[in-house]
Amino acid sequence: MGTPALALSGIELHYGFVRALDGIDFHVEPGEVVGLLGDNGAGKSTLLKVMSGAHRPSHGTIHVHGVEQSFHAPSDAADAGIQMVYQDLSLVEPQDIATNLNLGQETLRRGPLGWLGFVDRKEMRRTSEKELDRLGVRTAPMTRPVEMLSGGQRQVVALARSAIRVNGESQGILLLDEPTAALGYEQTKNVESLIRRMADSGIAIVVVTHDLPLCYEVTDRIVILNRGRKVADLPTAGADRDHIVGWITGSRPSMFAEASA
Amino acid sequence: MTSSEATVAGAGNSPGSAPAPAGAGQDMPRAVSVLVFFRDRGIFVLWGLLIAVFAFWCSPYFFKVDNALLIANAAALTALFAAGVGIGIMTGVLDLSLPGTAAVASCVCGWVLTHGHATWLGLAAGLATGVVVGMVNGLITIRGFNPIIVTIGTLSVLSGLAAVIAGGYTFPGLTQLEFMGTHRYLKVGDSFAGIPAPVFIVAAVFFVGTIFLTRTRDGIRLMAVGGNAEAVRRAGIHADRYKVLGFVLSGVLASLGGLVSTAVVTEANPNASPQIIFNALTAVALAGVALTGGRGSLPRVLVGALILATISNGLTIRGVQPYWATVCTGALLLGSLLVERLLQTAVSERLMTANLSVHEKKV
Ligand SMILES: Nc1ncnc2c1ncn2[C@@H]1O[C@H](COP(=O)(O)OP(=O)(O)OP(=O)(O)O)[C@@H](O)[C@H]1O
Ligand SMILES: [Mg+2]
Repeated sequence: MGTPALALSGIELHYGFVRALDGIDFHVEPGEVVGLLGDNGAGKSTLLKVMSGAHRPSHGTIHVHGVEQSFHAPSDAADAGIQMVYQDLSLVEPQDIATNLNLGQETLRRGPLGWLGFVDRKEMRRTSEKELDRLGVRTAPMTRPVEMLSGGQRQVVALARSAIRVNGESQGILLLDEPTAALGYEQTKNVESLIRRMADSGIAIVVVTHDLPLCYEVTDRIVILNRGRKVADLPTAGADRDHIVGWITGSRPSMFAEASA
Repeated sequence: MTSSEATVAGAGNSPGSAPAPAGAGQDMPRAVSVLVFFRDRGIFVLWGLLIAVFAFWCSPYFFKVDNALLIANAAALTALFAAGVGIGIMTGVLDLSLPGTAAVASCVCGWVLTHGHATWLGLAAGLATGVVVGMVNGLITIRGFNPIIVTIGTLSVLSGLAAVIAGGYTFPGLTQLEFMGTHRYLKVGDSFAGIPAPVFIVAAVFFVGTIFLTRTRDGIRLMAVGGNAEAVRRAGIHADRYKVLGFVLSGVLASLGGLVSTAVVTEANPNASPQIIFNALTAVALAGVALTGGRGSLPRVLVGALILATISNGLTIRGVQPYWATVCTGALLLGSLLVERLLQTAVSERLMTANLSVHEKKV
């Protein structure tokens, strides 16, 4: 195996007195899809936020393509090629879809108006539409404010934003927190194939989900958290469903030697 | 994605059969677009109604060019402060320190001018005061403190500072500022007295401000920060910088307001009048700028200020006691809240039924 796209070791994070993450080691290879499983409150979102720079761990190190990184803000992680779709979707409700898709990467007009910081809304709408078509996802018209979208449509917008950005990276890393939670059957299938296609183009993907069939469908490897600890890390192929459920609920002992127990 | 791609469209509305309304409503049924129009532009309609009412009731004195200029001039100061409060609120901060900023800016300018320095230097110093106050407010707030409390604190500090600068007096006789105070421009012989300077300043501020907020990258991000600062941060933008920028803009507008008031009376006064902030807030609230941030538009804020001036002007012409004007604006504000709620509910109801009943595929 080459250098992992993203590698975390010994990650610890506290919310006040709550220890949300406890000595987590984690890695994902380029082109690999890792499913992150665990019960509610197990720490999945927290771990993803550590990877995306939204939270800073109190202990532990993060390596991106072999280089140690210290993220102070999501912009640092974005500079390193990491994009995340948050569980609470992080869209700006009063703004339209095009603006949300382009937030932080706005296209400026050409010429003097561009130097003054004027944006080219038409061009942004056009390219966003093209990008969505390329991803094979469609939602409402580009000028619709996000607050007028359904939950599923919002999820598609949030996913598309990160997918568009990560596609621009040669060694991108995409973090998805329950990307299909609000989606219907067909859209879920679309997102599944989108994930597979992006992984095939070399993007490293971590997906948090409660949807076991989805997990079997798209992931190469499964990592399971229980109360802030990693209890299992195994290839998806041949993984026993009952064992997985056991690790998730905590009825099955950890795969790893319990140092503290 | 096919079946779930349902777009909201009026029943039996084949694509292109109805002229698409501009803006957000391209794909909405007619009824909804009309409601959305009233929700977003209702304040313009309201102002038109008021003008019509006063034109009849106060005929023949009200509906005249001279009186229109009086109203515009009277609205100018409120409009400047309302722009400050409004931009603050749209970007997610409620800046209560504006009267203090205005007082300090005008005293700094008064001090510079009475010490024999050039006019431009006085004005620049006054505006710089606004920038500094905005920075201080912003830098404290992004440390995680409540902006309302922070700006109440700076308001108190600033009112004291203004008195310190003025040494307990005022700076009278600042006649060099008349060019931006009572002076009128574009005079035509005896037939037209010219447009007062503050009207030009307000027009410029609102024009530039509107373009900035709707057409430029920084303006759009500023509004986005007001809508959801965490989302903007997660999109890889330094959201905190834009929060500070919001405070700086509202500080600059407040100091500009202070300078214009100084110019109008040719005297710098250290008293930070809380009435300023109440008038500005009333105009902003009339404009329907949601206190939650991320929404609103400057042209509406301008009309909000104009409505306040129109009411007090019309009532003055009729010889009604001035306190009735505040009663009227208050009632109007409460009434507009009610109407807005009704419209909002109507819009969401229509959209919901449209969403449920029409599963027209978009090809
Ligand atoms: N902002 C916060 N402040 C304090 N505690 C928090 C915060 N966010 C999460 N926690 C706690 O940290 C733990 C892990 O939360 P996290 O959101 O990572 O869970 P999760 O695995 O994503 O769960 P779910 O499947 O419900 O999304 C929980 O015990 C939760 O109560
Ligand atoms: Mg979660």
